[in-house]
Amino acid sequence: MSPLRLRQLDLSLPERHLLQDLSLDLHGGLCTLLTGANGAGKSTLLRIVAGLTPANRLALPDLGGSTPRGAARRLRGLVTYIHQHPFMFRGPVRDNLLLALPWSLGYRARARRVDEALEWAELTHLRRNDAGGLSGGERQRLSLARAWLRGSPYLLLDEPTSNLDTASRERLRALLQVLLEKGHGLMIATHDPTHFRFAGCAHLHLADGRLRLAAPAGKDDETQGACA
Amino acid sequence: MTEAIIQALQMLLAGDPTLWDIVGVSFRVSLVALTISLVPGLAIAALLAFARFPGRRLAVSLFNAMLSIPAVVVGLTFYLLLSRHGPLGEWRLLFTQTAMVAGQVALSLPILVAMIHTALQELDPRAWETTRTLGAGALRATLILLREVRFALLAAVIAAFGRIIAEVGSAMMLGGNILGYTRNITTAIALETSKGAYAQGIALGLVLLLLSFSLNAGLHWLQGRSRLQPEYLA
Repeated sequence: MSPLRLRQLDLSLPERHLLQDLSLDLHGGLCTLLTGANGAGKSTLLRIVAGLTPANRLALPDLGGSTPRGAARRLRGLVTYIHQHPFMFRGPVRDNLLLALPWSLGYRARARRVDEALEWAELTHLRRNDAGGLSGGERQRLSLARAWLRGSPYLLLDEPTSNLDTASRERLRALLQVLLEKGHGLMIATHDPTHFRFAGCAHLHLADGRLRLAAPAGKDDETQGACA
Repeated sequence: MTEAIIQALQMLLAGDPTLWDIVGVSFRVSLVALTISLVPGLAIAALLAFARFPGRRLAVSLFNAMLSIPAVVVGLTFYLLLSRHGPLGEWRLLFTQTAMVAGQVALSLPILVAMIHTALQELDPRAWETTRTLGAGALRATLILLREVRFALLAAVIAAFGRIIAEVGSAMMLGGNILGYTRNITTAIALETSKGAYAQGIALGLVLLLLSFSLNAGLHWLQGRSRLQPEYLA
């Protein structure tokens, strides 16, 4: 699968130039870690890549989409974004998954796919529970299951392990590993890059509006060129 | 007075046909008006909440201001439009149920728009983003969010119904209080009381009180439900 290439990604806020002419490549089956201080613009960058916030300028050499809004629309077709605290819709866990599937699929097919997703994310025993009552780890797994149903080639996660206990973090990591093996491209904003050392992981650091490759001391070989 | 109250209760329990005809007119007119204003109300509220266009804030404050327009002024406006020499006089709609419905649509629409718009605005922005990132188009995303605020939506419908079934000004001016056709609960109470026939007025007043009591109880319950957001846990 050809990578998702973003060029000239630029965003100015009234008070500062948050993202300055960034280039970014996401590859299927590979993970890109994104670190940076609080307020550096990690979430904003992820939201732009997910097509939820339009940039001031953004070129997608392989996809077209000449205007920032057009680019955002194309990106929404390829990318699913998972909030740091995923939003749970009112009602049972199962209904929260149903809405990730198009109506055109038909009810029976949707129900079957939802059952598969529940099993994949180890949520089957909670399917009738109110989604609002789930724990942080269960919410993260539910949101991953929703993304899995949506089936976007690229998944962006915003601080997925903040406020999770060790067991939940390990479960989440295992699910992400499965997604990588299935060929999904991941991008994870995190303060804890060591937790997500998947094979072939690139690590980018965002500071002062620019991205640079962050190579942990003595491990230069682990960071492959995801940053052009 | 006691005699009038006893007589009123007897009329209600005996199923006095004139009385229940009048109640029927009230319900029919108000339910039709509510049904007509529901879809535009939802659409306008969603547009005001999610679309970005020039004049949006003005439109929001306009609808909020329309909440407090007295029913009798709405009645007057439509009266002038529909009267023989008015711009729509040819339609011959004055003193019909259709005219009453038109007035009540104008009264209920601002309530629906204002309340539903507020509910959608107060919704967590992550809700909209989540539907979009999961592949929903603008229409489906809107429907999912309307479902998310369903209790507030129902509360808006009840509040709108409560206002139009209890209003007297517009129904009196546009309906003309014609017995068996446009005489509804509120105009009948006004007329019967002015004639000194208290029993029917009291009977209809009781119906209205019971109705508004149960509507308010329902509203109260729904507003409790709509605030019951386990989301803070996140």
